Amino acid sequence: MTITLLLEQMFNGLQSGVTLFLIAAGLTLILGIMDFVFLAHGAQVMIGAYAAASLTALTGNFFLGILLAIPITFASGFLLEFLLIRHLYRRDHMDQVLATFGLILFFNELIRIGFGPAALFSDLPKALSGFVNILPEAPYPMFRLVVILVGLACAIGIHVLVSHTRVGAMVRAGANNEAMTAALGINIRLLRRFVFAVGACFAGVAGMMIGPLTAVEPGMGEPLLILSLVVIIIGGIGSVRGAFVAAVLVGMVDTMGRVLLPVILRSFMGQAAADGAGPALASMMVYILMSLILVFRPTGLFSPKG
Amino acid sequence: MGALKILLDGANRNRTLFVLLAGFALFPIYTGIADLPFWNDLAMRIMILGMAAMGLNLVLGYGGMVSFGHAAFVGVGAYCVGISQYYGLYNGWIHIIMALGACGALGLAIGYLSLRTSGIYFIMITLAFAQMLFFLFVSLEQFGGDDGMSIDRAEFIIIDLWEPLRLYYLIWAALTLSSILLMFIVRSRFGVVLQAIKGNESRVEAMGLAPLPFKITGYVISAMICGLAGALFASWQEYVSPDIMHWTRSGELMIIIILGGLGTLSGPLLGAVVFLLLEEILPELMHVVAPNYAENWMIIFGPILIAVVLFARGGLMGLVQRVTGGRT
Amino acid sequence: MSETVLQIEGLEKSFGALRATRDVSLDVAHGEIHALIGPNGAGKTTLIRQIYGSETSDAGIVKLRGEVMNGLNVPQRVARGIGRSFQISNVLMDFTVLQNAILAEQARLGESFRFFRPAFDDPALIEGAEVMLDRVGLGDRAATPVADLAHGERRLLELALALAAEPALLLLDEPMAGAGSEETQHMIEIIDGLRSRAAILLIEHDMDAVFQLADRVTVLVEGGVIASGPPDAISADSAVREAYLGSEDHA
Repeated sequence: MTITLLLEQMFNGLQSGVTLFLIAAGLTLILGIMDFVFLAHGAQVMIGAYAAASLTALTGNFFLGILLAIPITFASGFLLEFLLIRHLYRRDHMDQVLATFGLILFFNELIRIGFGPAALFSDLPKALSGFVNILPEAPYPMFRLVVILVGLACAIGIHVLVSHTRVGAMVRAGANNEAMTAALGINIRLLRRFVFAVGACFAGVAGMMIGPLTAVEPGMGEPLLILSLVVIIIGGIGSVRGAFVAAVLVGMVDTMGRVLLPVILRSFMGQAAADGAGPALASMMVYILMSLILVFRPTGLFSPKG
Repeated sequence: MGALKILLDGANRNRTLFVLLAGFALFPIYTGIADLPFWNDLAMRIMILGMAAMGLNLVLGYGGMVSFGHAAFVGVGAYCVGISQYYGLYNGWIHIIMALGACGALGLAIGYLSLRTSGIYFIMITLAFAQMLFFLFVSLEQFGGDDGMSIDRAEFIIIDLWEPLRLYYLIWAALTLSSILLMFIVRSRFGVVLQAIKGNESRVEAMGLAPLPFKITGYVISAMICGLAGALFASWQEYVSPDIMHWTRSGELMIIIILGGLGTLSGPLLGAVVFLLLEEILPELMHVVAPNYAENWMIIFGPILIAVVLFARGGLMGLVQRVTGGRT
Repeated sequence: MSETVLQIEGLEKSFGALRATRDVSLDVAHGEIHALIGPNGAGKTTLIRQIYGSETSDAGIVKLRGEVMNGLNVPQRVARGIGRSFQISNVLMDFTVLQNAILAEQARLGESFRFFRPAFDDPALIEGAEVMLDRVGLGDRAATPVADLAHGERRLLELALALAAEPALLLLDEPMAGAGSEETQHMIEIIDGLRSRAAILLIEHDMDAVFQLADRVTVLVEGGVIASGPPDAISADSAVREAYLGSEDHA
C-alpha cells in the first residue's frame, strides 16, 4: 500500500463523492422542501447519461454533447413534474413511492426500446484522456480530475443558488407552505417545477460525467439512487450542506473501504478468511456507517434546511 | 366467541380470499384432467408470492409502514434452506424453523433500528438495509455469490416431496395457515391497535399506548411470514440467488398488494393472481399486437401501476366491494 | 383544601430565538376548573404540550400528584393519569364512534397484546365503551363512522376519549372550538359535571364558558403569566384588559 496508491484511492473517493452529491442535492431538496419521495431520481441520471452519449455520438464532440444534453435533462425534469409529479404532492408517501417506482420501470424499459439492453460505451474525450501528476510521480486520470472539479463547481453553484439568490430564498422559505408563499406573491407551482428541473439537471450532469467511466445502460441509476438515499439519511433531509459532507464521506468510505478493509483484515485474520470476509464487509460498510449514525443522530448529521 | 365461530365469521367477511383458497385446493384436479401440469407450477408460484405479499400487507396495508426491506426476508428464508443443505441438513421442517427464527430475529433487529424513525426516513432506511443484505449475499462466495446456489427438494418427514403435488399442497397449507393467522390478528386487540396507529399515532399515544412495541411486533410477524414464503420458494425453484432479495422485488410485492387492494385480507392473493397472469399474458399479447417490441412488454407495468395509484387506490378489492355492495 | 393534582414550577421553552414559555408556574387542585386564557400565540398550547409530554421543557418542573413528570413520554404520562382533548379533533377517522371508544377502553384495561379474539366484538370492551359514550351523550351515534360525524359531535367524542382512563388531570384544549351555541352549552354542562372527578386545566377563547366554569383563571401573554386569580378579579385587572383584547367583554 504505497502513498501513491492511497492518494489515488482518496481522489477516487472524492470523485465518487462529488458525483453522489450531484445526485443527492436534487433529491434532498425535493424530499426536504416538497416532502416528495422521488424514487425515479436515478432515472434522471440515466436520461442525462444517454442524452450526452447519443449527442456526443451525433456531433462527434464530447463537450458539445454535454452542452446540448443539459437543457434536455432540465426539460425532462420540468415536463415530468408538470405531467405527473404535481398530481402526487397531496398523496401520502406510499402512493408517491409506488408511482415513482412505476416511473422507474417505465423509463428503464423505454431506454431499452430506444437504445437496446446492452451497455453503451462512450469513449473518454481525447482532450481529457491523459494523466495529470497530482504529486511528482503520481499520475491520475485527467478525466476523473475534471469530474471532481465540475462537481465542486456545481456544489458552489448550488450553494450560491440556495443561499444567495432570491429564488433560493423562496425555495428555502418553504415551497411546501402554499398559503404563505402565495401570499408573498410567489408562484409556488412554478417554483416547484423549477426545483424539480434543477434537481434533474444536476442528476443528469452526474450521469454525463460517469458515463465514460462506467457503462451507460438501462437501470444504471438505481444503485446510485440508493447510495444517494443513504447520503441524505446521513446528511439530513433538506440540507444541501449535509448532502455534500455526507456524499464525500460515503464516497470515501466506500472507495477506501474496499481497498483498505481486506488489508486491515489480513493483519489479524488469516489470508483466506480475510479474502472471504473482506469484500462482504466492504460492500456493507456504507450501510453500517449509516446505521451507526442513525443510532446517535436519528435525523442525520445536519439540521434540516441547511 | 369460540374459535370456530371466529373462523367462520372471518371467512364470511373475506369471501374472496376463501374462494381463492378453495380454488387453489381444487385446481390440481382440473390440471390433472386437462393434462396441464405446467399450470400447477404457476399456481405454486402465485401462492408463494401471495403469501409473501400477505406478510408485507400486515405492516404496509394494516400498519401503514412502507417497508422496502421485505424481499430481504423472503431471501433470507430461501437462503436458510440453501445454507442448511450446504452443511448437510436436509430436513425440511428444520429449514422452516430456521427460516422463521432467522427472519424473526432479523425482523426484530431491523425493525427496532428502523421503526424509531418514520415517514420518509423509514422508507429509505428499509431500502438501505435491503440493499445491504443483497450485497452481503452477493459477496458470500461459498454460498454461490452472484450466481446463487442450487437446492435439492427438501425432505419433509412424513411428506415425500418427490411425489407430485406434495409440494403443491404443502405450499397451499402454509398459505392457508398464514391467511387464517392473519385473519385472527387483524381483528384482534393487537390488530386494531396497529390499524389505529396507521391512522393516527398521536391518538394511540393519547390513549396511553406506546406505538413502538406494536409496530415492531407487526414487523416481526410479517418478516416471519415472508421468510416462510422464501423457504418454500427455495424448494419450489430448486435454486436461490441474491436476486430474490433485490429491493425491486420488494417493489414488486408492493405492486401486488396495491393491485389487489391495500389493507384487505384478500387483496394480496388476488393481486398475485392478476400480476402473474399478466406476466404470462402480456408477452403473448405483445407478440400479436407489436411483435417488434414483444420483449419490452414490461413497459406496460409502469403506467398500469401509476394509473392504479392515481385512479384506483382500492385496487381490485375496491372494485369487488363496489360490485358486491360492501361484502368482500 | 383539595389535593393539588398539577404543579408547574418555572417552566421554560424556547424555539430558537422565540421564548414561547417564560418562567410559568401554576397549580390545579382536584375538583377545580382552572382556565388558561390569552391572545393567540401566547403559548397556551405549547404549555399544554409540555404538561402532556409531547414537548420537552428547557427548564422547570411538572408534577402530577407530587410525582415529577419530566422525562416521561406521552403514553407514560397518560398511564399516570393525564388526559388531553386536542384543539383539532384527533380521533380515529377510519373507525366508528363505538370502535374509537372500544380502543380507548382496551387501552385502559391494559391488555392490548392479544391476538385471538376480535376486539370490536368483545362484550367486555363494548360495555365500557358504551358507558364512555353515554357520559357525553353520544350513545345513539355509536355505529356512525367518525368521518360522518358533525363537528360538534367530534368534539364530544374527543372529550369522551380523554375521559376514558378516568384521568386525575384533564387538559382541555379549546373543547368548544368551532361549536355552535347549543353545542357549546351542552359541552359546558358536561365539563361542569366533571368538576368533582378531576383537576381540569381548560384553554378557552369563549369568555362566556370561562366565566361559567372557571374557579380560577390564569392569563398568559407572550409566554408569561401576567395575572392569576378568581374570574372576577381577572376581569377587573387593568393589565389584563390592556394586554388581552378579548372578543367577548364580561365585566
